[in-house]
Amino acid sequence: MNKKSTFKTALKTFAVTSSLAMASLSFASTLTVSSPQDPGSWDPIDTFLVNWAAVATNMYDGLTYRGPDLKLQPGLATSWEQLDEGKRIRFTLREGVTFHNGEAFNSASVKFTFDRLMGDEGRKGPQRSNYAAIDTVEVIDDYTIDFHLKAADPVLLTKLAGYGAMIVPPKYIQENGEDFFNTHPMGTGPFKFSSYEPKVGIKLEAFSQHWGGAPKLTNLNYRFISEPSTAVAELQSGRVDLVIPPTIPIGMITTIEKDPNLTIATTISPTVYALRFNTRDGITKDERVRKALIYGVDRQAIIDSILGGQAAPIASFQSAISFGEDPTMKPLPYDPSKAMQLLKAAGIQPGTKLQIDIRGNNATFNEVSQAVASYLQVIGLNATIKPYETNVLLNDIIPAGKTGEMFQQSWGGWTLDYDNTAYFMYHTGEKWNPYDSDPELDALLESQRSITDRDKREEILKSIANYTSNRALEMPLYNLNAIFGVSKRVKNFTPVPDSRLRLTDVTVE
Amino acid sequence: MANFLMKRFLQAIFVLLAVTLIVAFAIRLTGDPALMLTQGAGSVTEADLMMIREALGINKPFFIQYYEFLKGLFVFDFGRSFMGGTPVADLISKSLPATLMLAASVMFVSIVISIPLGIKAAVSKGKWADQTIRILSLIGLSFPNFWLALMLVLVFSIWLQWLPPSGMDGFASFLMPAFTMAIILTATNVRLVRSSMLETLQAQYIMVARAKGLSENTVLYKHALRNCAIPLITYFGLQFGGLLGGIVVIERVFNWPGLGTLAFDAVSGRDYPVLQAVITILSMLIVGVNLLVDIAYGLIDPRIRTE
Repeated sequence: MNKKSTFKTALKTFAVTSSLAMASLSFASTLTVSSPQDPGSWDPIDTFLVNWAAVATNMYDGLTYRGPDLKLQPGLATSWEQLDEGKRIRFTLREGVTFHNGEAFNSASVKFTFDRLMGDEGRKGPQRSNYAAIDTVEVIDDYTIDFHLKAADPVLLTKLAGYGAMIVPPKYIQENGEDFFNTHPMGTGPFKFSSYEPKVGIKLEAFSQHWGGAPKLTNLNYRFISEPSTAVAELQSGRVDLVIPPTIPIGMITTIEKDPNLTIATTISPTVYALRFNTRDGITKDERVRKALIYGVDRQAIIDSILGGQAAPIASFQSAISFGEDPTMKPLPYDPSKAMQLLKAAGIQPGTKLQIDIRGNNATFNEVSQAVASYLQVIGLNATIKPYETNVLLNDIIPAGKTGEMFQQSWGGWTLDYDNTAYFMYHTGEKWNPYDSDPELDALLESQRSITDRDKREEILKSIANYTSNRALEMPLYNLNAIFGVSKRVKNFTPVPDSRLRLTDVTVE
Repeated sequence: MANFLMKRFLQAIFVLLAVTLIVAFAIRLTGDPALMLTQGAGSVTEADLMMIREALGINKPFFIQYYEFLKGLFVFDFGRSFMGGTPVADLISKSLPATLMLAASVMFVSIVISIPLGIKAAVSKGKWADQTIRILSLIGLSFPNFWLALMLVLVFSIWLQWLPPSGMDGFASFLMPAFTMAIILTATNVRLVRSSMLETLQAQYIMVARAKGLSENTVLYKHALRNCAIPLITYFGLQFGGLLGGIVVIERVFNWPGLGTLAFDAVSGRDYPVLQAVITILSMLIVGVNLLVDIAYGLIDPRIRTE
């Protein structure tokens, strides 16, 4: 065969294979998603990472379900009723549901799931403490099950929609073992597991027998890319269709918006940022000083300039979609002269030093804290910024009460219930509350936990928000949007606030 | 020779023991993995933490943990990752080949470019070819590699869309990471080859070889290159070790599923077993390469064998 004919054959082969590829493309539709972290295990009880949820929401179902509109809906349970003053919940289960391998779903699966979570296996993992209210789970019949609670937990129904409460297949786990399940997950969700390569990615396929209907995509590929610029480059080169938060920094939004093939989708998120105060020692012990610091910083200007408008001002340490947010509360205005008056009244000398502890790895928040420091300079305070490695700040500095006068806290409970923020931030003795102890606030926080009446609870949560704001326990900064980078070939995509992204309705062109 | 090898081998074992001990101790100063695992949880009691510590095996005294780690080393059992419980050996067996393949291609690219260029520069010392090569290598040396990586991605992945911007996926995916690392090594190597070549070319036996009428290529590649090989091999060997360390940054930029990525995640996740294993493997490699360099000395220069 001479050179020319080899070349011709090669061309022909190429033409045939590429037309084959085109043909298969029209049948299969694959969405490739970039996620910043590999959780290492796909078992629901092993992790707290939101990036676990971003994938696993497609593989598993809970008894309840909460979609992008954040309304609680029936999931694997079709209905439920709260009995015995909230200490018992009876669920009626959906019939005819199977796991991806054909194993039947019934009340035994639910009992197995929660016995496992609260038992020896769950003890090794971090999810158990979140469901501590559950005492026992009692099978009434194949499709009826009772949850007996140690104490009423008003947020439990929401918690059943995610993370540790995902229903797992008993027979599959018992036959294959716990280790196998970590890397070969199985649930009842709209996509089934296909393959997993640690640190590289996980692939899912559509599960056409899902009780909610077959998903429109046939394949769902996740790639783990931690470096934001790499994820964006993959998006720009068309090899990734969707970059999920928390990846894209504010600074890269314009790069994506300028690209004709890409777009940015944002939505409100639960994540709120604050500089909390050391209320036990130093100048921030004085409430007047704390208020002065808040008056002294123009938070709206920070939102407009540094955050490019991708954030909203907050008056208490929660976002507008949090249950317990009081829309009548307004953030303290920017008023440097009032700030200086308050400082003078508190006897603070100009040039007094003040330390702000932050997580050092977040470029955007670095800028924010520098802006805060320069605003404080204007009212006569000499603020220094101390960056820590994130995990050191979170695990060793804050809980031990070793921070400066102010420290960064970013928080965003997926349950979107203010209890999951306020109780941990303000109740005496909690890990995230190293400095403050206020019996009145403790009583308020405890009282709302035993109330099942939604409206009454909301009133108490709102009063807690007002109370903490009156005492100026933190400088509420802003509520940052969840930012998604999306290729224009992706249709029907709805950004979700809580990272629990279910991609059943999405299609690709 | 056997004596010489034995001595080197015992030294290598001692170095490895010292490294593992230091690593095992130092990593435990980074903080509590149980706190790390429950970071997202609101309320965590000390009892919850104790249960997690027990499950991870970090409630035992340090020397017991270290002993168990050493014992596992012999059967390639590094325990389980704290994040997700995957056996560490599984993670290593996937990422070690990825890193080695990348490092080897970097070395290959760099050596293939730098030896001819270095010789060319040495032979034409002071002429324009020498000047150009020296200026180019100076420019190569001054590039920060992460910046170079980002620029390459911008040009070849985003503008031209020829190469994949990240991941390990076939031959094309090797080009950018290998080239990025190689360009910086090459800059140093060219200068090294040039200077050791210049020194060798002064020697009398080169003059003799030329006087015998041997072709210039035989003189350069057979006589001169072999004689200046010792410093070059030492340097390339050490460079390979340094490369394994430096590859962390490049792996991160190119999302390469290698040891660097594994180590990076392990440090930030306080994943003791994974980090211990990665560092032990890396030091084994570096010590091993040094051992090979020593042995190669012996082969190239008979004088060393007898010392």
